[in-house]
Amino acid sequence: MTDPRARVEELAGHDRVRLIGVRHHSPVLAAAVGPLLDAYAPQTLLVELPAEMQDWVRWLADPGTVAPVALAAAGPDGPRAFYPFADFSPELAAVRWAQRAGVPVVCCDLPLDDPAWRDREQAGGEEPDGPTLRGTVHKGLSGRAGDDLWDRWVEAAAPGSPPEAVRRAALAAGWALRHDAGSAVDPLDLRREACMRGHIAAASGRIAVVVGAFHAPALLDGPTLTGIPAGGAVISLVPYTFDLLDARSGYPAGIRDPRWQQAVHACGATPDGVRAAAHGFAVEIARDLRTHGQPAGPAEAAEVVRLADDLAALRSLPAPGRGELVEALQTVLAQGSPTGVGRGVARAMRTVLIGHKRGSLPPGAPVTGLRPAVEELLAALKLPGPGDAYRRMRLDPLRSPTDRAREVAIQRLAACGAPYGHADQGGGETLTTAWRLEWTPAADAALAVAGLHGVTLDQAAAGMLAARRRRERDAGGSTAEQALAGLATAAACGLPRLVDRRLADVRQAVCHAGTIEQIVAALHLLRRLEHGLLPGLTDFPSAAPGVRADLHAAAVGAVAGLAGSTRVDDARALRDLVQTADEAGAVLRLRHEIDALARAGSPLMRGAAAAVGVLLGHEDPAVFGTRVASWVDLPASEATDRLRGVLSIAGSLLQAGGAPLDPLVEAVDGLPDDEFVRRLPALRGGFDALSPADRDRFLATVSERHGDIGDRLPADPLAVAGWLAADRAGLAALTALGLSTAPAAPQAAPREPVAPRATGTITAQERWRLLLGRESDKLSEGRRPLATALDELYGAGRGEGAYTVDGGGGGREQAYPDVRDWLEDLEALFGTAVRDEVLARAAERGRIDAVLAADPDRVRPSVDLLHTVLSLAGGLPEARLAKLRPLVARLAADLTAQLARRIRPALTGIGTPRPTYRPTGRLDLAATLRRNLHTVRTGADGRPQVLPDRPVFRSRGRRSVDWQVILLVDVSGSMEQSTIWAALTAAVLAGVPALRTHFVTFSTEVIDLTDRVADPLSLLLEIRVGGGTHIAAGLRYARQIMTVPSRTLVITISDFEEGFAVGDLLAATRALADDGATLLGCASLDDRGRPRYATGVAAQLVAAGMLVAALSPTELASWIGDKVR
Amino acid sequence: MQGETVTARQIDPPEFRYADELDFLAAADEGRRPPGWRLTPRAVVTFIAGSGGVPVAGPDGKRVVEPKFVGERALVERCVVTLAGERGLLLVGEPGTAKSMLSELLSAAICGTSALAVQGTAGTSEDQLRYGWNYALLLAQGPSAESLTPSPILTAMATGAVARVEEITRCLPEVQDALVSLLSERRISVPELSGQDGAVAYAAPGFCLIATANLRDRGVSEMSAALKRRFNFEVVPPIADFDAEVALVTRQARAAVERGGAPFAVDDAVLETLVTAFRDLRTGQSAEGWEVERPSSVMSTAEAVAVAASLGLSAAYLPGPDPLSLLPGHLLGVVRKDDPADAARLLAYWDGALRRRAESGSRMWRQLWEHRDVLRD
Repeated sequence: MTDPRARVEELAGHDRVRLIGVRHHSPVLAAAVGPLLDAYAPQTLLVELPAEMQDWVRWLADPGTVAPVALAAAGPDGPRAFYPFADFSPELAAVRWAQRAGVPVVCCDLPLDDPAWRDREQAGGEEPDGPTLRGTVHKGLSGRAGDDLWDRWVEAAAPGSPPEAVRRAALAAGWALRHDAGSAVDPLDLRREACMRGHIAAASGRIAVVVGAFHAPALLDGPTLTGIPAGGAVISLVPYTFDLLDARSGYPAGIRDPRWQQAVHACGATPDGVRAAAHGFAVEIARDLRTHGQPAGPAEAAEVVRLADDLAALRSLPAPGRGELVEALQTVLAQGSPTGVGRGVARAMRTVLIGHKRGSLPPGAPVTGLRPAVEELLAALKLPGPGDAYRRMRLDPLRSPTDRAREVAIQRLAACGAPYGHADQGGGETLTTAWRLEWTPAADAALAVAGLHGVTLDQAAAGMLAARRRRERDAGGSTAEQALAGLATAAACGLPRLVDRRLADVRQAVCHAGTIEQIVAALHLLRRLEHGLLPGLTDFPSAAPGVRADLHAAAVGAVAGLAGSTRVDDARALRDLVQTADEAGAVLRLRHEIDALARAGSPLMRGAAAAVGVLLGHEDPAVFGTRVASWVDLPASEATDRLRGVLSIAGSLLQAGGAPLDPLVEAVDGLPDDEFVRRLPALRGGFDALSPADRDRFLATVSERHGDIGDRLPADPLAVAGWLAADRAGLAALTALGLSTAPAAPQAAPREPVAPRATGTITAQERWRLLLGRESDKLSEGRRPLATALDELYGAGRGEGAYTVDGGGGGREQAYPDVRDWLEDLEALFGTAVRDEVLARAAERGRIDAVLAADPDRVRPSVDLLHTVLSLAGGLPEARLAKLRPLVARLAADLTAQLARRIRPALTGIGTPRPTYRPTGRLDLAATLRRNLHTVRTGADGRPQVLPDRPVFRSRGRRSVDWQVILLVDVSGSMEQSTIWAALTAAVLAGVPALRTHFVTFSTEVIDLTDRVADPLSLLLEIRVGGGTHIAAGLRYARQIMTVPSRTLVITISDFEEGFAVGDLLAATRALADDGATLLGCASLDDRGRPRYATGVAAQLVAAGMLVAALSPTELASWIGDKVR
Repeated sequence: MQGETVTARQIDPPEFRYADELDFLAAADEGRRPPGWRLTPRAVVTFIAGSGGVPVAGPDGKRVVEPKFVGERALVERCVVTLAGERGLLLVGEPGTAKSMLSELLSAAICGTSALAVQGTAGTSEDQLRYGWNYALLLAQGPSAESLTPSPILTAMATGAVARVEEITRCLPEVQDALVSLLSERRISVPELSGQDGAVAYAAPGFCLIATANLRDRGVSEMSAALKRRFNFEVVPPIADFDAEVALVTRQARAAVERGGAPFAVDDAVLETLVTAFRDLRTGQSAEGWEVERPSSVMSTAEAVAVAASLGLSAAYLPGPDPLSLLPGHLLGVVRKDDPADAARLLAYWDGALRRRAESGSRMWRQLWEHRDVLRD
């Protein structure tokens, strides 16, 4: 092995060729380049730039050019190379020196037209340090992730060293990297080096070479390559900015924290200068934190400075480097919480250390960049350019390659923000697209902005989209919506690398925080990608299958969050999900969740889950059928919702008849008449989930089973119902007296299986017509009022067949002109209980007249009814609202009274002092004596003496207003039952003297309703629903109104489907938790404890310090009691 | 302390275990030391993070210092610099990331003892952080220096040593806040003794405080902002390097089994499988980059050591089945702590990442996949 010292000496000591090995951005070398060149005074300067850029060196070095700027090369096939320059770039310093000294500059790198460039996947802008000695550095130096050899050996150690020493250190680092790479050097690099050697040989006299340190060791000997012609690549010199220069922006050839580098360069990289810069930045960051409300005073800044200096001393560095400063900032300020305080620190560090410096070009520099490139592209694609009239075009991107290119260009222009193409038709998944294309002045303006990001359309589009992504990340991470939209856009623009990043976002945002609809949407989008339906993207991204698998895994987690859903859409999403999971073979785990849902979900989800079980083949259809049939006997709303759940998923399965259907038909047929009539509205509601056409088919199946049978009844239904009731009462009386009921026996006698088993006088056929709400005209005269009364509620139905005027719809009687008649009929036909139920259902469907007609004193108070009434109240004018007020007042008052009875016990006595071992200054003498009786011994004077080993104290009594309870209620989607429970609970809590209760609603805006909290009626009527979900805003408001954090309970009632950045939400949560407030998230607050919520977000909230649970108001009250006591 | 005759300790504290190495390092580096320190800061770093295989020259010859803490050297450096500035150091991280061990090593190296420690619990009272009384003496003689029982922290202040508070977040917030004035004023006043000697106990130079805290655990109370500002925070991450973690698990499990005199006979491949599974479940991402549902229980290296030791013990005392077949049961035991859904998550791991590995043909994983039945409930 060669001795490194000798080798470095050999490299550094060449007398004709002065090698200056650099990294493209290196403040210490940039500062050293001037003195080095002054000392050596070369006759020619060679820099590592491709030959095509030779003409541009003059503009680069022009005194009027303000860095940062970038040299970009683009060929006909897209961007080739990208060289950003800042004041701390050694090449720029060298070129400027040459300009001043009048020394010629030669661009000695391989011309970009050479085929070797194209063989490499991504051209240009590679880091000269190539492979790193990371392993060695890790063990020997700091062990920090992300540290590289160059930083430690050259940047951190250099301040205060003479320029020549810095040059040698850089050459040594380059040699070490080269040595590490061994023979695995990229062929392109070898060819480039041969070309550089050619230039060195060709130049005469003393020459200085400013070149990547990695290449330097290879330049002194080896084969040379000359005579490669400079090609026709288009070169542009464009202004650049510090935030694009930062390595985290995703742009090539960047460096971390440009402003820090600039400061190091500005002070000439002297130890005192660097130290002063570090101190300045520490103070600046502390100030920035203070302006954002985070406590960070001079004491903290001083500690940062001390820690950074001492770390540097411990590591034998002349001055703290960027690494030491960052370590010190994080140790002192970030408090070990990356989501809470740490986020603020990271933001402040970004603001301060990256900076916003923006470059500019000298007057007279040739105009280049994006605009000419776009014009050329449009001309090549025969699309209307500037000055052309608008055109309409229909493109077929999936078949014609030209159209594909056009489509992609249009999409990319849109991504750059240039209004150029307008889609002529929206919606639907069509294979062709129609556009109205026109160049507008606004497009010019947009391209001027986009030009910062690149000099070709794809570069600029990628840059703009990447910038959008970065903004999302800065705001706390992309939301699921943003990630999905970003993925779709990136795919449409044909940017595979961005697609990969967006896939990662989707994985992050949708898998961890997405709702089930978003997961299904993501799966759908991936399927389109896979089938190549997005024209921009030809290859299916390799990461996609992994993301898909993750989405399936996430879906499994999200299923649990559906337990409380009452939306048919959720049931359908479940079905879609199960189908895709089935295709992907990922149902093993899903089954577990589905079973749990079928056991403990809301009625709708239980029904849906049961149906899914059959569709998956987990459950025997016959068992399923029996189960469905048993639901007929459940309480009304329960039966309705379960049937809705089943039918919205497995309607077609039941339509087909056979094992799943038979038990249901038997159960319906087996009901006694009065029972059937009583249950009719509920069951009809369940079947309403099917479209009219589906119901017709269903009826056909059932009819087939029964056969057609005469169906006329001699008397009218009211009379029959009356007779039956009397008959039943008589039978009951007989049974009670122990008399024989033998005559009833034949009813139970076995019948022929196919024959309808209708127990009463309403035939099976009629029963099903009533249940399904079809063929009402074929009903007997006496049954028709039943059908009409229910049709009034349900109408003809929605979906397929709703508008056809055949059998079901035709010949119906006139609907009720007056809602009172209808209500009376309902009561007469079905009884009071059923009437209330139908009333609630009518209110749910927006029948405000039905609610207004109801007599407040006759309705049974229930949260369901209050819920539906309030849902309507939102859209009412005050005049009609006034009529509703008595009803709401009655409901609210009754329910609050009921709730108060249940809650109060949990909250009584919270002000009473309790014994404690903790010294409080109030000794509990009796308890102390009892506790220490075992220490009694006889004293010297013969009297017993107690030696109180463990004194017992009394906790401070809490008589006054002591605890703050902040109820944050999500009112974004619709008026949820949880909202009503929250309002009622708040009203009860407001009556507890030791608590100060705040009631705050939030959607995208936050409204404090605390002044009305004692009166549930006005509270409920004041709540306005709608808008997006912004939980973080609510939490921040809570933080504002909180007075003593350790005595504050912040209770958030939400489904946690945050519409804004989840990172922000976590930070807000963390901030409250860090303050010491007690946080509770209620996924639902109702009597059932079945929440519908986004499980992913909830899990992250738990990690951030907020407990999440589904509670009943009583449980909530006892939780508050526990916390407060 | 040297005079104590202790025959055997179940766990040897670092000041005894590495006594001669500490003496060696104290003699080897003659550089400047912060007041009250037994070693130079650089020697403390070397003691904890090792000398990187390079022999350290001392007065009685050279020796290589082995690393005791597996992790970033920069982290240890920051801890040492923080303590050298006499500022409080708070080590935070998930359970089982060797925070306590690091704090013991630091205090043993700096002041020669790691015994001045308070264990934080919900029942910890201010007495344990400041001072208490011998009530019998207090009643008999009234308040005096004799009847006062100093807390370990008060002792550390008096002697200029390093005090440790373990699990500080388990203390109630008002108890934690007893440390605020102590850390800023560096003295404890004892109002009961006013007018006597010792009414104010001042901290001797060299006194500093190391606290440890778990962030992701149940039953912790938040620290107040005032207290947080008096600490420098260091996050101790789980071991990043797979090989290092396997080596650590193997070493410690072997030590645990061999302490009882039994041979440790668990195959390396089994241990690698075990560590891989732990890492997958800990990070929520498999080694191949697949998503894994994270259980809410903590999958720490310490737990992995415990499982490996159990496998070793059962192989030593109850030889029989393949140790691999016991792994699912042990994993279930680790996972099923408080959330019943965690068992289902483990099953999901089996059906997801593990099944894919089994299908890709790895023998170990295929065998493990075959033991899926253990997880069924």
